[in-house]
Amino acid sequence: MLVIAYSGIFSPENNNYPVTCVHEKLTGEPCLSCGLSHSFSLIVRGKIDEAYRWNQYGMRVFLFFISQLILRVVYSIYYIWNINSRKQLIIIDCVGSGIIFLIAFWPFIESIISGALH
Amino acid sequence: MEDLKNNSGQSLGIAALITAIITFVLSVIPCVGLIALIPGIIAIVIASVGLTQAAKNNSPRGVLFAGLIIGIIATLISFSQVFVIGKIAQKGDRWPGNIQNIINDVQDNVIKDLEDANISIKVESNGDKMEINTSSNKKDMEQKLEDLEGENTQKDDTLQKEK
Repeated sequence: MLVIAYSGIFSPENNNYPVTCVHEKLTGEPCLSCGLSHSFSLIVRGKIDEAYRWNQYGMRVFLFFISQLILRVVYSIYYIWNINSRKQLIIIDCVGSGIIFLIAFWPFIESIISGALH
Repeated sequence: MEDLKNNSGQSLGIAALITAIITFVLSVIPCVGLIALIPGIIAIVIASVGLTQAAKNNSPRGVLFAGLIIGIIATLISFSQVFVIGKIAQKGDRWPGNIQNIINDVQDNVIKDLEDANISIKVESNGDKMEINTSSNKKDMEQKLEDLEGENTQKDDTLQKEK
């Protein structure tokens, strides 16, 4: 919800994003997640092609946040209704969300791993 | 009263878990990864305080442990962004450095080739052939110039002409 609100409030036309890239400030080189805020704002406004141009991973990260919003609502309803299978539900939620997280953020995780190894 | 005692630290545990999960997601994003150190430390502190309270009152500690572990992992991931910054900086320094070295090498080679070059010009017109061979060897040219100056000029040559 916060991500959608953030993307809606700050527009690419005004370029008034409060988050600045620490990497770019320190090194002068853009990182993998540079342009993510722009990309989110453009996705919210329906400009998908332009969003891809700002950051190619913007869509998958945005979809992760949307999927979490939907999953929270669905699991909350199940949690209230199914008193007997609450533990199983929590495990399924953790595993499912973890997998979605890995898929969505894999390029960033990969950069951290390769950065730490080399 | 007993219920209150048994649930002490639980609200802190939920707060720590939520903060830790948010930190975990933020820590993976390179742009804000380093900033996530702050909420990460906050999550660890909240979970630690909650754990002490829970230990005193013998209340359940599952959520608190989850918050603490996720907080620690998120903080470590956040700290590991330093390596990513290092890699980007290294890449940024390495490439212009390489390009500069290549340019310097090419410049040196061109200058060296020109200094030692033998130039040959062939002109062919209506059956007539003309060939000019010359060496642009810097040392040869300097020697020739010195020889010519020694043969044809004298000291204060220009001043004598003016007189």
